[in-house]
Amino acid sequence: MMNKKSIAPFVFVGPHLILFLIFILIPTLYGIYASFTQWNLMNDPVWVGMANYKAILFDESSTFHNQFVNGLSNTLIFVGISVPLLIVIPLSVAVALEHKKVRMKGFIQALLYIPGLISISAAALIWLLIFNKQLGITGNLFHSQAAWPATQPYAWIIIFVITVWGGVGGNMIIYRASIAGVSRDLYEAAEMDGAGAGRKFISITLPSIRFPLIFTFVMTTAGAFNVFGQPLMMTDGGPRQTTHVLMMYIRQLAFGHGESIAGMASAMAVLLGLVILVISALQYYVMNRNAH
Amino acid sequence: MKAKKMALIMVVLILGSMTILAGCGSGSDKNTITFWTPLTGDDGAYMDQLVKDYNATEPEFKIKHVITADMYTKISTVLNSGKGVPDLAIIHADRVPGFVKQGVLEPMGAAISGQPEITEANYLPQAWATGNIEGTQYTVPLDIHSNTMYYNKDLLKQYGVESFLDDDVVTIEEMLSLQGKMEPDQYVVNDALLGWVIMAQIQNLGGDIQENGKPAVNTPVMKQAFEEVKKIADAGLMTPFGEDGYLMFQAGNVLFSTDGTWSSTAHAAVEGLNFGVTNIYSATPDKFTNRASSHLFAMLKNDQRTDEKEAGVGAFLEFIRENSLEWAKAGQIVASKQVIESPEYDQFMQSFFTSNEKEVESLYIYTYEYYPYVAEAVDTYCADIVRGNVDLDETLATMQKFVEDKIAESSGAAGTP
Amino acid sequence: MLKKISISKYIAYLYLIMLCVIWVIPVLFGISTSFRSQAEVVSTGFRLFPVNWILDNYVTILENTSTAPILRWLSNSVFIAVMHTFLVLVIISVTGYGYSRMKFKGRDTLFFTLLGISFFPGVVNIIPSYKIIDVLGWVNTAWAMIIPGLAGMGNIFLVRQFLRGIPTELDESARVDGAGDFRIYFWVILPLIKPILIVCGLFSFVGSWNDFLWPVIVYTDVDKMPITAGLLLLQDIYGNYRMIGQLMGSAMLAIIPTLLLFVFAQKYFIQSINLNSGIKG
Repeated sequence: MMNKKSIAPFVFVGPHLILFLIFILIPTLYGIYASFTQWNLMNDPVWVGMANYKAILFDESSTFHNQFVNGLSNTLIFVGISVPLLIVIPLSVAVALEHKKVRMKGFIQALLYIPGLISISAAALIWLLIFNKQLGITGNLFHSQAAWPATQPYAWIIIFVITVWGGVGGNMIIYRASIAGVSRDLYEAAEMDGAGAGRKFISITLPSIRFPLIFTFVMTTAGAFNVFGQPLMMTDGGPRQTTHVLMMYIRQLAFGHGESIAGMASAMAVLLGLVILVISALQYYVMNRNAH
Repeated sequence: MKAKKMALIMVVLILGSMTILAGCGSGSDKNTITFWTPLTGDDGAYMDQLVKDYNATEPEFKIKHVITADMYTKISTVLNSGKGVPDLAIIHADRVPGFVKQGVLEPMGAAISGQPEITEANYLPQAWATGNIEGTQYTVPLDIHSNTMYYNKDLLKQYGVESFLDDDVVTIEEMLSLQGKMEPDQYVVNDALLGWVIMAQIQNLGGDIQENGKPAVNTPVMKQAFEEVKKIADAGLMTPFGEDGYLMFQAGNVLFSTDGTWSSTAHAAVEGLNFGVTNIYSATPDKFTNRASSHLFAMLKNDQRTDEKEAGVGAFLEFIRENSLEWAKAGQIVASKQVIESPEYDQFMQSFFTSNEKEVESLYIYTYEYYPYVAEAVDTYCADIVRGNVDLDETLATMQKFVEDKIAESSGAAGTP
Repeated sequence: MLKKISISKYIAYLYLIMLCVIWVIPVLFGISTSFRSQAEVVSTGFRLFPVNWILDNYVTILENTSTAPILRWLSNSVFIAVMHTFLVLVIISVTGYGYSRMKFKGRDTLFFTLLGISFFPGVVNIIPSYKIIDVLGWVNTAWAMIIPGLAGMGNIFLVRQFLRGIPTELDESARVDGAGDFRIYFWVILPLIKPILIVCGLFSFVGSWNDFLWPVIVYTDVDKMPITAGLLLLQDIYGNYRMIGQLMGSAMLAIIPTLLLFVFAQKYFIQSINLNSGIKG
């Protein structure tokens, strides 16, 4: 009996643990090691201790410090606005689709999911043409004289538009699958008691899907911190680097033109990882406590 | 018991599958030269054709052309693992000084020693020279690809300014003469490859981006280069900030487009666009410069590459030297003099840039070791400077610091631990 | 009560229709752009339908593949995506069960440690990852695409969270009846988590199908590449040279397989499983 108890868990989590060790842990540890080195991706890394972190965090005259501060604050703006949108819109869609009388659910669902399948380069081109002053709708429909990709706050707006447009599908189907698992009886009983749609949502739907909800919050946030495709394609970080997110700086340092500055890039990536870790831990802690 | 057994089976399955799957790695063939290029799209197809033609001559060593979409990252991965390093690769001119300093390039000497025709005299001089570091030849050039200025013939006629082209140099002053004369939504020039245009002005104004090996970004010449180009934007003659000036040129609303030799095929595909090519506009009537780069054949360090194989590389490069007319279809300026002097080459638009000595000289390739960092700084900040969004002096100081900080972090920096 | 339902129905409809219209316009614009010439795109701009419908973009894309084995690439992609998805489903259901239903020391600590580690952005990790693949001998093989992704934590986290929302009465009663963990996993839990597994399967399939950064690094052999890496070799030029119609055409062609899968799969992930009545009944 004892023997079985101690071995069985390993059977279930062990195979994945081995895979994790080989394909995530080792590369991640190497990345952390690289953050303490000067490295050009080609020759052997040279140990420099805390030098990269010192430059990024404390040397206010350093280009890397300025890049990190600017990149991180832009990333926080992106996270702060995109994550709520990527939770609320898919959730409201899933709830609306759950309505008994709504027809063509599959069709609506597929329509909202399609943008997520389109490659980012094609998607960016579509939206840049739509937001083009001469060719698109911003000049003709909104009578806007500004070139949106080069003017704030429009530069941020078009980044959020393409992000939400392409991003609601994933969370939407998680909520759909979760809500589908909620017992019909609960709703029917609530209806007997005369509960309205709002009441049913607050007192039945939300509590029933609280665990998947925590998942989407944590993972959507972590994903948003890693953003770089949308700002890169839509605004290229402009105007005046106000949409230049941290991941763009990191990738430029590691894979830009000229000799790679991968040690510094790794240090920024580790710091970004720590930020993600702290914020997602907070999210999980707060939401999990409230869920009980 | 049962659980233990299952555990054992699981582990065996995973480890087993890993080892079984191993061992089907690709050993490089003894008689094949693996040849990596970053040439995606049509460019790759033209190179494929050249390779096919070469292999059809039944050479001792056949070429295997591998196109990769992210070649420099891939080079890093194979150099790190020490396996699968290609025998031959095409790299860009601005990579050469860095690669040589990092010791990852093999000199070309042994490969081309059996090829009497592969010499400086038979290639465009700057394309050859860019591969020569302290007397050692590390590369053999395929082409020069350059910043160029396309013009809309119909618009030039409409505004009666065909005379701009008379002396082969369109000056900023000439462009400014159109101030107040443009129809609504029409512009004199777009902002495509603006950073390259700035780099050209530095040469036109007699400056450079380095002084004794130290980066020189925050200089009076750089400042003047920006101020001159800014005049065009200030006069409202440049396509608006944030608008796609390249597409506006294709739509026929812009007189001049400052993009690259390689876009001629794309422009040609636009019905009704009647265009020609000339030099990038200049801040001075005395000089014109087209900032250029080059595709170069190079050999990465690889102990497994035999001397015979290197001779095979030489034979292939000689074939390219004689037959790269095919490459002109990609819009690029072929580096082999034999090709550009042949009458067939004249049909290509880019033959303009080799039509006389002065044109050849205008193709300028920066060879400063830290040029990529300078170019990155210029590209990052040029649009905001030219549009007057930022203070010029302050930004130049930021750019200087940007380049210096990056240099201090690169492995070649003196005095690093 | 009836009246209430019909009002909320209209609100739901209004909201969904509004969203659908906003969502579909760019897609239609993208499709229609793939049927337009470059000259038309740059001069007429935003129009839902082309002035002149042309097929040239698609002809160019398909002709461009004379040196590229596009059917081969497709079958490589299908093999990779199907294998990857199948293995993901096995791994995440088993592992998710382990982290939510089994009791062992340090279970949650282990889980959150792994999850935390996976949050570190893997930027330069591409170098050690390639080295590992090289040591395993998987360069230029499908395994380089199929296996490493199995180590991900996202889907396991989702299954774990989903399982936490399912009451344990069912598996406890099975345990009382003498069932071991394997039987409970297979006969009780697996059917319960089918909807979320389908969602995870869809994510895995689409993710594996659309991945282009990694295959570019691990493949040099054109014959073995998946379709996204292969098309990248051809398509790059449409992006760089901004041949808009062709870029749109290739993007639209590329979504067809995953869209078909979605249409097929969506029937299953919204299946109501009615847990509570199952327990109480």
